[in-house]
Amino acid sequence: MKELIEYIARSLVDDPTEVSVTLRETERESRIELSVAAEDMGRVIGRQGRVANAMRTLMRVISSRQGVRSSLDIV
Amino acid sequence: MEKKPSLEVIAPTVEEAVTRGAAELGLREDDLQVEVLDEGSRGFLGISARQVRVRLTVAPAGDVPAPKKEAALKDGAPIPATESATDDDPEAVQAAHDTVAELVERLGLEAQVSAKWGPKDPDARIQPLLVDVNGDDLGILIGRRGEALTALQYITRLIVAKELKRPVAVVIDIEGYRARREQQLRQLARKIATQASDLDRTMELEPMPPNERRIIHVELRDNPSVTTESVGEGSNRKVTVIPKG
Repeated sequence: MKELIEYIARSLVDDPTEVSVTLRETERESRIELSVAAEDMGRVIGRQGRVANAMRTLMRVISSRQGVRSSLDIV
Repeated sequence: MEKKPSLEVIAPTVEEAVTRGAAELGLREDDLQVEVLDEGSRGFLGISARQVRVRLTVAPAGDVPAPKKEAALKDGAPIPATESATDDDPEAVQAAHDTVAELVERLGLEAQVSAKWGPKDPDARIQPLLVDVNGDDLGILIGRRGEALTALQYITRLIVAKELKRPVAVVIDIEGYRARREQQLRQLARKIATQASDLDRTMELEPMPPNERRIIHVELRDNPSVTTESVGEGSNRKVTVIPKG
């Protein structure tokens, strides 16, 4: 799941070197924290959070197979 | 110059305004020139405090200027009209193929990905770049009401547009889902139109995403006994079928 968000974020931002993704896993939840350069925040959030929500939907493709919940925080 | 038909739409986002306007006009989004009259206010984290207002003009046939390769894809900038010449840029095919293949792999799925330019829609001037994904157990990649497929296609379009510095109408299908769904929706549209007209009552369909609502609108566009209209907001937006006369 980390690789998925890393790939998407690096592909969308102007400054891929500032992309960092942390995965925190518990038994019930996979929690991803994504951080990007301040100028790139809009690109990974999108208007009304559309980009972030699309990433969340794709994360569920993975987590639902593992029987866990997933969450994405952009920090 | 002759005045072209135009339509002003107010919506939470530019994308939504374009989608609604296109459905209302019975046209593809790529057939419209978009002028942002009011960008709205973004509010916090993209939650818009004031709605955006856009003017949509039907792009003139034939003399649409080709989009500039270096055209900026900034939020709120006018979306360049689709060029009128047939596109056969192999770079775009490669970019779309590779992006989908990379995403599918990172989703932990095994699938064959193929990409090619589709035929230009004779009705509209948009030319889709078709990406087919085939394999076993890909229902999860379609999702409930196609939501995973929609997300995959949205992210792919963003990545390809960023790489090529121009928008490309990437259309992803998984195991023929889109074609089957379109057939279902067209049948449903005709059935509901008959009911609306027989009962002389306005019929309401279940909420649908914009692309599915458009299929209903287009299917019934020339129907002599009914008109169609979308009502409701956001993910609750649905088509109503209204008997004429």
